[in-house]
Amino acid sequence: GDNRSVSRSSTELVAYKNVNDLPPPRGEMMIQVDQKNEAILLPIYGSMVPFHIATVKTITSQSDTNRNCYVRIIFNVPGTPFSPHDANTLKNQGAIYLKEVSFRSKDPRHVNEVVAQIKTLRRQVAARESERAERAT
Amino acid sequence: MAEGHVFNSISLGGRGGTNIGQIKVHSGGIVWKKQGGGKAVEVDRSNISEIFWTKVPRSNQLGVRSKDGLYYKFIGFRDQEVASLTNFFRSSCGITPEEKQLSITGHNWGEVDFNGNMLAFLVGSKQAFEISLADVSQTQMQGKNDVLLEFHVDDTTGANEKDSLMEISFHIPNSNTQFVGDENRP
Repeated sequence: GDNRSVSRSSTELVAYKNVNDLPPPRGEMMIQVDQKNEAILLPIYGSMVPFHIATVKTITSQSDTNRNCYVRIIFNVPGTPFSPHDANTLKNQGAIYLKEVSFRSKDPRHVNEVVAQIKTLRRQVAARESERAERAT
Repeated sequence: MAEGHVFNSISLGGRGGTNIGQIKVHSGGIVWKKQGGGKAVEVDRSNISEIFWTKVPRSNQLGVRSKDGLYYKFIGFRDQEVASLTNFFRSSCGITPEEKQLSITGHNWGEVDFNGNMLAFLVGSKQAFEISLADVSQTQMQGKNDVLLEFHVDDTTGANEKDSLMEISFHIPNSNTQFVGDENRP
């Protein structure tokens, strides 16, 4: 269904409701962006693991002298300013947070693409959320 | 006929991604062989401690935990195969598979659970992902609240992964009570 774009608030982030809503497996495992569900998928131990875009704080890439390319994703955790999880932080006392993941990639072009897509999606969702918050006050 | 079940196109998932191959489930245990030769995985019936089914996108995943603390996941079973294999595990191996659900909410907060060599990240008691501590080359405390795990660089698996996990870190707020007073582990 597509009713969630209206009803979902940042206190109840849900990327997927059903396992089969996740993108079908591809031949090669890599970081993926699911624009429609506002999620990123990370290859961790042979599984594609979804994270809601609003959990992402920053994404950066860099390359070293051996032409290796790296992607680093930092997630929102409590105690950082302007974290959108404030309501959740209170609700999830005692939780452990995934803070950061770093990947080495074989494909610099794919890395640039993914970084750009994630940044754009993050910006769009953040803009929409702050607009909604403003309307609500 | 009661000898066992053979399935082609079953992927073994792990560090490095997935490899496709053939799995044979028989009363003596489980054998998986990589397509085209090479890697093989064999778990004897006597060495299996637990079996799990997990629904994954478009298929089902068989999880096998061995008594020596290893965990294997085999991906690509159809729903009807899950039913027949569940019966087989019960009647021929005396093991009842359990259902393990996948967390798909996309949250980055939850619980950390250790089992053998495996570290599982659980969200609302469902599993988001699992990593093997055997592949961790180094752990570091960063500040008072963060734990960083670095993975071995492995270029030899030949699996189908374009992006490989190198580091992962967890933030443990002071409000967490699970690991109070234990600074050597997350």
